Amino acid sequence: MFYREAGQFKISYSADMAIFPIAQDRIAVLAIVAAAFLLMPFVATEYFLNSIMVPTLILALAAVGLNILVGYCGQVSLGSGAFMAIGAYAAYNFAIRVPELPLLVSILLGGVVSAMVGVFFGIPSLRIKGFYLAVATLAAQFFFDWLFLRAGWFTNYTPSGSVNAPRLDVFGWTVNTPVERYIFVLGLVCVFTLLAKNLVRGHVGRQWMAIRDMDIAAEIIGIRPMYAKLSAFAVSSFFVGVAGALWAFVHLGSWEPLAFSIDRSFQLLFAIIIGGLGSILGCFLGAAFMWILPIFLDIALPPLGELVGWTMDKATVSHFSVMIFGALIIFFLIVEPHGLARLWSIVKEKLRLWPFPY
Amino acid sequence: MTLRVRSFPEVLLSVENISLAFGGVKALTDISFDIRKGEIRAIIGPNGAGKSSMLNCINGFYHPQQGSITYKGVRRSQMKPHEAAEQGIARTFQNIALFKGMSTLDNIMTGRNLRMKTGLLWQALHLGPARREEIEHRREVERIIDFLDIQHIRKTPVGRLPYGLQKRVELGRALAAGPELLLLDEPMAGMNIEEKQDMCRFVLDVNDEFGTTICLIEHDMGVVMDISDRVVVLDYGKKIGDGVPDEIKKNEAVISAYLGVSH
Repeated sequence: MFYREAGQFKISYSADMAIFPIAQDRIAVLAIVAAAFLLMPFVATEYFLNSIMVPTLILALAAVGLNILVGYCGQVSLGSGAFMAIGAYAAYNFAIRVPELPLLVSILLGGVVSAMVGVFFGIPSLRIKGFYLAVATLAAQFFFDWLFLRAGWFTNYTPSGSVNAPRLDVFGWTVNTPVERYIFVLGLVCVFTLLAKNLVRGHVGRQWMAIRDMDIAAEIIGIRPMYAKLSAFAVSSFFVGVAGALWAFVHLGSWEPLAFSIDRSFQLLFAIIIGGLGSILGCFLGAAFMWILPIFLDIALPPLGELVGWTMDKATVSHFSVMIFGALIIFFLIVEPHGLARLWSIVKEKLRLWPFPY
Repeated sequence: MTLRVRSFPEVLLSVENISLAFGGVKALTDISFDIRKGEIRAIIGPNGAGKSSMLNCINGFYHPQQGSITYKGVRRSQMKPHEAAEQGIARTFQNIALFKGMSTLDNIMTGRNLRMKTGLLWQALHLGPARREEIEHRREVERIIDFLDIQHIRKTPVGRLPYGLQKRVELGRALAAGPELLLLDEPMAGMNIEEKQDMCRFVLDVNDEFGTTICLIEHDMGVVMDISDRVVVLDYGKKIGDGVPDEIKKNEAVISAYLGVSH
């Protein structure tokens, strides 16, 4: 009833190609973004911003990057943790070794270095596919875990192996308080998400999807598999690298290689599978699912236990939280194997017709 | 019954003494024929005769061990599929090879990918040249969508379309490249009579309106004899006949290959 596009005629191709061709969608998205920028800083607690919003947004950005590779180009990667680490350590080294560089530039350069390494580790994809490629990207994960732990140069020879982020100075604006951190991350994530969306709806995005859906046919209509695959690796690693730099600088503040272990790779891969492969919205839903749900369970379980007269200790809570989280992952995958984004599009389809059955 | 008697002086592509073997299996043996500019050329033959292998050689997917292919006056030995595409050879497949997760519109837009040149950065911004290019090609693609009468399925993911429409979308994707030579591998396989009639009409229209040279593989003899200008007949990887449909119908070797002979 409220969500119906009747009467909205497109009279130009650019109107038809808009990201949100339906007016209600445009209004809703604008409202959400406006609320995130203008309302959230005033109503949210510091804990909420620091531990929930900032990490979720950064993970969503990394998921966008990974989704470009896995969801759009169909190349499975288990090395996203490593590419986050590369982004983080490269940005750190740029920041401490070339102090004149503005912080934002260091972060972007971190992404660029990650993109170059990504292209290198993408080369096997020209010969191998699927699970075998996943194993090849796993090599990147283990190699960089080892490198950042053992090669002192990358951590500026800090004895503990743990490094501290430089002061967050963005063109004279010192990003310090939780609200400022949140706004900084939110701004970057919005910009990069828009760029990613433009890429996947543009002709390079179509090349990626063509390679994903049928690589032989793609080659026969003139798509060069090498360019398509390596550009997907480059763009994907760039996004993941920037997210890694943000994760280290803004979320963690000080970190060691363990922050970017294989667990992070799995977390991102699950996020895009649950959120929806080949969907930008899915990245956000998946990242929120992976980050917020465990925290929510940790908080919600003890009071629930009290309700039935069972006082849980901390260990029991965390065990139960993991079990319920795992069960929910399986539940969602059974209900909708194409992820939360597909679930949402089904809801939208129903909303268009509501209150009528068809 | 050939109603259209047309003449084509200029040779667009000629195949000379092509032999292709997979290990011990000889798919093609010493095949030579030519495709002239503007004609509809059919390749026929029983199953396993090497028809699809022949098309695969022409667009660079297979590399024959012997022989050469001359296209637009340039003789070439080995060529990659995307190079063939760059030179104006497009094709469709026997078992549909569409990008199933993408919409009809996106599938046909992919066909124009060779003509889209803006860099990654502009595309990421979706401004200026990237936007202009996208709109310009969208206009071309919409013409093809109109031509094939598939406006209503523009935004539908092709995986959900029925078989006949998928075949049509695949033709659209090949046309979007604006090819000089269009290779159609069994465009009417598995269709009912009406769908076949539609597809024949599209093939003839493409040939008439765009002047595209067409080389097609087809099993329906009625269709082949009606729409093609000249026919090549293959059997067990060898050429057994080549000529206008009326000649082919009378050719003894062709009749025996199709009907069998009593020994």
